[in-house]
Amino acid sequence: MTKVKYPQKRNYRQRAHSNPLSDHSFDYPVSPDVMDWTKLYPRFKPENEVKFCDIGCGYGGLLVTLSPMFPETYMVGFEIRVKVSDYVNDRFLALRQDNEVYHNAGVIRTNAMKYLPNFFRKGQLEKMFILYPDPHFKKCKHKWRIVSEGLLAEYAYVLKVGGLVYTVSDVKEVHDWMVEHFTNFPLFERYDPPAEDKAAQVLIGSTEEGKKVLRNKGQSWTAIFKRIEDPYLVNCAGT
Amino acid sequence: MSVLHYDKHTNSFLLGVGANLYQLSENRAKLLVKCGEAPETTEKGEPIKEGEKAPRAEGPAYITGVATCEGRVAVISNNKVVETFDRDFQRVASTVAIKRATSVQITDKTVVISDKAGDAYSYSTDLTDRKYLLGHVSVVMDMILTPDLNFLITCDRDEKIRISHFPNCYNIHSYLLGHQEYVLKILLLSPNLLLSVGGDQKLILWDLSTSQPVQTLPSPQEDYITISYSPPYILACNSRHVTVYKLTDTTLTQTSQLVTDHDIIDVASSDSRVALLTREPKLEIYQFSEGVMSGKCEVEGEIDLSQFKDSVLPEKKKVVRTAGFAEYFERKRKRIEEENLKEESKQAHINLQEKSKETHLKG
Repeated sequence: MTKVKYPQKRNYRQRAHSNPLSDHSFDYPVSPDVMDWTKLYPRFKPENEVKFCDIGCGYGGLLVTLSPMFPETYMVGFEIRVKVSDYVNDRFLALRQDNEVYHNAGVIRTNAMKYLPNFFRKGQLEKMFILYPDPHFKKCKHKWRIVSEGLLAEYAYVLKVGGLVYTVSDVKEVHDWMVEHFTNFPLFERYDPPAEDKAAQVLIGSTEEGKKVLRNKGQSWTAIFKRIEDPYLVNCAGT
Repeated sequence: MSVLHYDKHTNSFLLGVGANLYQLSENRAKLLVKCGEAPETTEKGEPIKEGEKAPRAEGPAYITGVATCEGRVAVISNNKVVETFDRDFQRVASTVAIKRATSVQITDKTVVISDKAGDAYSYSTDLTDRKYLLGHVSVVMDMILTPDLNFLITCDRDEKIRISHFPNCYNIHSYLLGHQEYVLKILLLSPNLLLSVGGDQKLILWDLSTSQPVQTLPSPQEDYITISYSPPYILACNSRHVTVYKLTDTTLTQTSQLVTDHDIIDVASSDSRVALLTREPKLEIYQFSEGVMSGKCEVEGEIDLSQFKDSVLPEKKKVVRTAGFAEYFERKRKRIEEENLKEESKQAHINLQEKSKETHLKG
């Protein structure tokens, strides 16, 4: 039997930053109704739905950790860089040969800032992950940041009420920015996960980025937020 | 850019040519006011960010959009100036927007603009109190504030039509997804029906209660330029065609088509007239009855069309390509091939060694 070949990162090197505002040529469905998830998950049935999304999944570390923890849940990573998403794709193909698991996780090369509503229906997702997002320090690059007032509306749209967003960063400024934006947004509130929240426990140690931070004895900050009902509509209904 | 507007409150057309705003009633044109003058005082709304300067007017001043409500008229100009006038066309308020505005809507309580950065803002009637409403990731091409003031509908270059609650626009009600290129213009035909045209050369009629398209019509001739609505008729313009459809229930049927001599820039329609601005530049007024345009009328009065500013359609995405990724996959394929060949020859070498060992032992 041939030995399973796992992809080697040195063959998939790519520049870390990609302009999310420009029109790269992506493959994305016109609407969630026509998305064929079986291309990603060979065992996907019509009654299944993708429930977790890792925005900017990088080399796939989080998905590889979450996949066996939630074997009944379909999860997807969005990654904008071609070579990196190709690596994750090859990684899962290899993992699936070697194991009976990992059939519930996959990657899509796309732009999460633009195309979330193309893939997911309103309130479809239960969990979203934003781990070690690119800081885009320069003011002129702030509009490339994955967390902004405008984008939070889209995240709130694809997440169900009660759904959770998990964020981590090793850059305090980025963590503070995310906390400020999420807490000031009417459809999210800060959430303290109970001990049983398995996903919360693996946020730092599972990604390549996170492991690097641990190796360098750096610090990571986490913040989790819950999608809540619109207080404006609740108030109107009350009056 | 939308320079022709039918003002139902006065049953007249408003036309922006360069910085000049004209009114056309009964085929007679009258210069109303010159727009786009930068206000003296900078706006006192919420600061964009700590330490940032208030926006300043920049670029040539020409009208890019008009909106009306009973007591007021709002005008947006290319130099970022946003202004409101009373019905005597005396300037009531003006301000400078953060980015060039692409659409404007006005009610007696608020002014809403969308801009080139993809954002939408609301202003108080005196244009001082500015609030951020929502943000698309690409240019917002058109915008509608529903008459009941419950929803703000915006469409962008990323093929999306987004329906947000209003004024709580952070709460997205739904998306209308179906276009495969930029969505150029949207019209609300009734509380439940929306019409859109896009760079994919489709005219789509949407049922807002299901967010699904109920009818899709392909363009008779290349790209759509704009659409206009005079119940129950819809006028859809390509560069040389005006196709009129009648809306019955939720179906559009074509009633007539007019071919023009010159490229159409913009159109506006009332119950009895259609105003057409062409690239010549020329302003044409037609009689409009039973869904048919006829009898070109002469426009009396002075309109200085030399100030006319042309508009272009956005670039299509399908034309934009990234280089290099085909190369990457080709290199990858070659690398895998080479690796496999190496494996095979290594294996063959091992087999040969084993075989020679065997024969050696036997021998």
